[in-house]
Amino acid sequence: MLAIDMTTASIIYVTSFVILLIGYLTAISSKDVIRLLIALELMFGAVFMALIPLFSVALLANAAFGIAIVTIFTSSGELLILIAAIAILDKQKRDIHTNVIKIGGDKV
Amino acid sequence: MEVWVLIALAGIAVLSSLGVLLSKDNFYSSLYMSATLIFVASIYAIFSLQPVFVLIVFIFVGAIGIVTVAVAATYRSDPESQFSKPWAVLVVITAAVVGFAIYSYKMLNPEMSSSVIKFELINFMSQSEYLILVLSLVALVVLLLLSVLKMVAGGTED
Repeated sequence: MLAIDMTTASIIYVTSFVILLIGYLTAISSKDVIRLLIALELMFGAVFMALIPLFSVALLANAAFGIAIVTIFTSSGELLILIAAIAILDKQKRDIHTNVIKIGGDKV
Repeated sequence: MEVWVLIALAGIAVLSSLGVLLSKDNFYSSLYMSATLIFVASIYAIFSLQPVFVLIVFIFVGAIGIVTVAVAATYRSDPESQFSKPWAVLVVITAAVVGFAIYSYKMLNPEMSSSVIKFELINFMSQSEYLILVLSLVALVVLLLLSVLKMVAGGTED
């Protein structure tokens, strides 16, 4: 069985961080809401990866499993909301590109 | 040997996630996303964390990933270039800084001990805590469904 030492933890955290950043980059570069949905799920994948070292601490293993379950539920909720948003956007604007969204968000 | 398997899986996961970014078609992008998640689940498998592996592969990829692939296939439009070069440079620099920070921590703390993951799904929670977790998650899903129904009903009025 593979042990968690600093080398494996480093590999896991760096990979998780790179996947998270690629998710951010995809979200920033997205031109339609489907790509945004894909980017968010990729970020959840990075969160799952970052949870692995928590399982090596005996006191935190059950908590880590609980966090994994809650993360899956959260991503299901995010999917539900985004699919509803995609359906509404399609019905109202006949388009799913992000440039058709004119209201909402922050103004700098 | 096992560390090389971990490095290989992590490398393939990163390459698949790069496929999400660089692919111009949403359909292929969602397929790459599912592949990335399966490789992340495989890393759980090599640490003998089978319960989480099953959760990720069967629920996260099997349900959520497939719905995303289906939605991406339904709204498959003309591919457009989406890559943002200035942000890519920042991402590479940030990843390099964080990677070096984590690696240098190991150099400065050579006495760090290693521990094998011994996870068994027994005594996960007490009965009352388990009941509260299930109730709160079910309440969350019901609330989300009601919100979505309200959103869709409001959206169709216009």
